Amino acid sequence: MAEAILELDGVTKRYGDHLAVDGVSFDVPEGAVYGLLGPNGAGKSTTIRMIMRIIGMDSGSIELDGAPVDDDRRRLIGYLPEERGLYRKMKVLEHLVYLGTLRGVGPGEAKRRASAWLDKLQLGDWAGHKVEDLSKGMQQKVQFIGTVLHRPRLLILDEPFSGLDPINTRELKDLMLAMSRDGVTVVLSTHVLPQVDELCTHICLINRARKILEGPLETIRADYGGNVWRIHTDLAAEAIGELPGVTATRPLGSELLVELTDDAGPRELMRRLVQRGEVDSFTRFVPDLENIFIRAVEEDKLGVE
Amino acid sequence: MWNRIWAVIRREYLERVRTKAFWISTLLVPVLMGGMMIIPALLAARGGGEATVAVLDLTGRYWEPIRTEVEEMLSSDDNFEVRLVDIDPGPDPEGTREETKQRVQGKEFDGMLVLPPGLPDEGQAEYLAPNVAAFRLLMVLERAVNNVQVADRLEGAGLDPDRIDELTRRSDLKTLKLGSKGEETRDQGQAFMLSYMMVLIIYMTVLMYGIYVMRGVLEEKSSHIVEIIISAVRPFELMLGKIIGIGAVGLTQMLLWATLAFALSAPAVLSAVGLADFDLPSIAASTLIAFVIFFVLGFLLYGTLYAGIGAAFDTEQDAQNFQMMITMLLVIPLVLMVQIFNNPNGTLSVALSLFPFFAPILMFLRMTLTQVPPWQVALSMALMVGAIFVMAWLVGKVYRVGILMHGSKPKFKDLARWVREA
Repeated sequence: MAEAILELDGVTKRYGDHLAVDGVSFDVPEGAVYGLLGPNGAGKSTTIRMIMRIIGMDSGSIELDGAPVDDDRRRLIGYLPEERGLYRKMKVLEHLVYLGTLRGVGPGEAKRRASAWLDKLQLGDWAGHKVEDLSKGMQQKVQFIGTVLHRPRLLILDEPFSGLDPINTRELKDLMLAMSRDGVTVVLSTHVLPQVDELCTHICLINRARKILEGPLETIRADYGGNVWRIHTDLAAEAIGELPGVTATRPLGSELLVELTDDAGPRELMRRLVQRGEVDSFTRFVPDLENIFIRAVEEDKLGVE
Repeated sequence: MWNRIWAVIRREYLERVRTKAFWISTLLVPVLMGGMMIIPALLAARGGGEATVAVLDLTGRYWEPIRTEVEEMLSSDDNFEVRLVDIDPGPDPEGTREETKQRVQGKEFDGMLVLPPGLPDEGQAEYLAPNVAAFRLLMVLERAVNNVQVADRLEGAGLDPDRIDELTRRSDLKTLKLGSKGEETRDQGQAFMLSYMMVLIIYMTVLMYGIYVMRGVLEEKSSHIVEIIISAVRPFELMLGKIIGIGAVGLTQMLLWATLAFALSAPAVLSAVGLADFDLPSIAASTLIAFVIFFVLGFLLYGTLYAGIGAAFDTEQDAQNFQMMITMLLVIPLVLMVQIFNNPNGTLSVALSLFPFFAPILMFLRMTLTQVPPWQVALSMALMVGAIFVMAWLVGKVYRVGILMHGSKPKFKDLARWVREA
């Protein structure tokens, strides 16, 4: 596993009697697309704001590249908050230059980079217009440029796709993945689980202020998939259920999910199935994130009680 | 830290100075102020060129003295000329009166003066004209008729008018302002007007630019740009940069006003508008320096408060109650100005002018009116600087929490809690 670029350890935030973030720890490996998942109000945004030092934490530590985040190291991050906007009366290019200079990019360099980005995103003609003249979709692109202008090594996007239409969502995903291919680590928070499947390499599930699950997506899938196999066959479910090593069967569309005892291998099952009838497909069952999430939350509840 | 604050200052300054609104207000205010000062002076100084007045003297004695009187009165004024025309009443005075009236209506004369035969004891001199609002002309005629009649009465009583004139010469009070080094300067109320105006400018600009700060903070909140900014700049740096940037806009505007005032009061300009002799009040350099210092300190103090209000609320409507409270703090000293005028060095005046929230107006006012001991000036400035630091510290906390808050309208106890928790 790659070196962690961002490490959270026991991060806690309390508002009065309310625990907003409760001892959350996780490591974001360099180069990952790291999904911070959980329902609304779980504490994702609060956690991100603590990483950005926009709000202070009550206890715990946050390290970026092996050292606590300070004003200078914060420039390694590009941050797109959930609530985001622009100065409506400023001109697009000047606005971007301003955002760049705030993060230590010289004005000349900021101007060059901003112009290049605007051209790349077909906004070159709008450089001299006021922000308020741009459509919402164009403004969102400008916000993204502002986030990456200082060439951050870590990109933190809080609910980046909320409020975007499908085309802009697609464009933002492509931009994000392109950054990722260039070696930028991406942390993105979302409550829309299907998005994670196509984007994330790692995930961290947060529910009610606490982390309940973390790791590479593949590992988690395998863990939660268990010894379950997905089979398309003409054999009856009852017949399969009587085979040795099989503990349960249940239908999944036209297929069957077959759960085996831990020590039983798929090879034995397959041999027996082929002897008895036709087998069109035989694959390991990969649970979707929603299933994993619901099970993780339930297990977490049991663990607490 | 300072390069980030500098970037914020730069944006706040340039974005405002580039607007049309800034230039319009910069040009409009001096025009309005100048108009308020110059138009009355213009009206008084120019009664309007020249006038021809027919004099129908039925006494047979007054024509000559009135002509002399008017001539004397206007001898020093090149701009204003009154030509008097003697009308012979002839055998039928009533007829002549009607006839002269026709001539006035025919625009041959601007007006006619009728002196009934019974003067000075019976009847009353009359002035007939289509325009009886020619202020300067009326004043001249009225005085001339009055003087001639008084002289006539005195002579009738056996007294020498010239001797009486000499004995009853008016003795105006000569007002001199005593400076710190014992110098005496002539003052005829301009100093009063000027200090009143400068105090009003401090009040107006502190209020106006304070509210700009509040609006700026509200705008950052409502447009949701603020979280992006404070992910790169500390909230306190953003607040400081905004206040300083907007304050610099205020100073720029004043500098432009001063330049404009200086240019417009050049002798060439003044004589071009016919005010060559208009006595412009002069401002001592020390007064100007005090003016700038009190504006800067006052703006920093109030601007900080307004920044806090902007951060605490979502809209100007929500902020109204708190905004009113702050504005009241600025209005109270305006009301208290009477107290200072009456007794600039009284204990109450000194105490009020030392109070940091009143000092920008009251201490400055005292300085223009009287000799304020330097220690009092220094103390009031020190107290203001102290108040600015305390307020920046308190408001900084409110600001940090407030700019990320949306939805609920905080009450005073919420603000106090933010200060405790931040």
